[in-house]
Amino acid sequence: MSEQAVHPFEQMIVVLSRLVRDGEIAAVGTLSPLPAAALYLAQLRHAPNIEPLVYGDPDMRITDGLHEFFGLAQRGLIDLFFLSGIQIDQQGNFNLSVIGDYHRPKLRLPGGAGSNMMIMMAKRTIFFTITHTKKLFVPRVDFVNGSARDDSIPWRRGVFSHCVTPLALLRFDESKGRLILDATYPGIGIETVAGNTGFDLDTAGRTIPEIDPITEEELSLLRGTVLERLRRVYPLFCDMIWP
Amino acid sequence: MVGFLNSDYMTIRKDFKLVKDPYSGVEYVTVPALIPDVAVIHAFQGDPYGAVITDSFRNDRLIAMAARKTIAVVEELVDPDDLLPGRHGVYVSAAHIDAVVVAPQGAHPTACRGHYSIDSAHIIRYMEAAKNDDSYRAYLEKYITGPENHEAYLEVVKGDAI
Repeated sequence: MSEQAVHPFEQMIVVLSRLVRDGEIAAVGTLSPLPAAALYLAQLRHAPNIEPLVYGDPDMRITDGLHEFFGLAQRGLIDLFFLSGIQIDQQGNFNLSVIGDYHRPKLRLPGGAGSNMMIMMAKRTIFFTITHTKKLFVPRVDFVNGSARDDSIPWRRGVFSHCVTPLALLRFDESKGRLILDATYPGIGIETVAGNTGFDLDTAGRTIPEIDPITEEELSLLRGTVLERLRRVYPLFCDMIWP
Repeated sequence: MVGFLNSDYMTIRKDFKLVKDPYSGVEYVTVPALIPDVAVIHAFQGDPYGAVITDSFRNDRLIAMAARKTIAVVEELVDPDDLLPGRHGVYVSAAHIDAVVVAPQGAHPTACRGHYSIDSAHIIRYMEAAKNDDSYRAYLEKYITGPENHEAYLEVVKGDAI
């Protein structure tokens, strides 16, 4: 293993990349360096036939900005998308708008942008969060920007697939209609994950697997070619994490 | 719109309406069209007749077509024959543009793709200044209301770097 210890974000990039399926058209929106890196890594390893549409990547040529992205999603041409949230709850609702009451917020954020449409119209959405706390994983979000599923909407095609955090891999269980713990990371126990989550992760009586450790190959690709590509889209982020 | 149905947007935005699609009978949400009185966009190049080349990652062309008046701030003015989209640009016809303003580094402190990157030090300075009214007033005085024009503003910014 390389000299530098594995950063939690590197762990997340690897977990995200392993969730990518070969052949998918996968899109990454704004402010999403971790999924962007995950797509680059997946393309180099197990998913050579993906089409990564990374917003801001100079290699990608489009005409109509985000408008074009949205059009692709609405036509059903985006297989995989990535979103984050300031709050996510047990039912898989996510919030990107406000903390507190909408009209008297403790904190107002830029908002959900196209996230509501994207989770409905991209075939599946994987969530990523750069922290894992009870403030983020709450029993009920203060504002519903979008939901994990909605059986009453005939044109909805998108599902909430997974949520990758610095502590664990969560999965949306379709049959239970809730987020559950899917796997832990090496060195991070179930208690740590549960203690930092504001709702039950359905761990009782289930065997929770531990994900395979990062391989030498994954780490060297990540710190090599992947990082070179990522730097062209997210230079400040890369300088911060890989000085 | 595709989306918004059953989200909390429907409770806070009384102007979002539910309609039945007359063709499929399926319910969708409609939102009122946004028609800006004035739009200001930053473009790579413009020509003397008002056509511009703007960043393909942005929605500038859409915005220019939506707004009643559009002002395009451009890095440089070029001959109409040289106004070509290149790798990252999109051509926007003069029909959509009402005024072209030549201002090199006009996007500062944000980035202009292929020309310059974000001035993160200045953004951080701005964020610090925005924390309270007094420091924000001082910021406005130093960078916005103080400098006589864009060139003078850039001089002030240049002074910070030293």
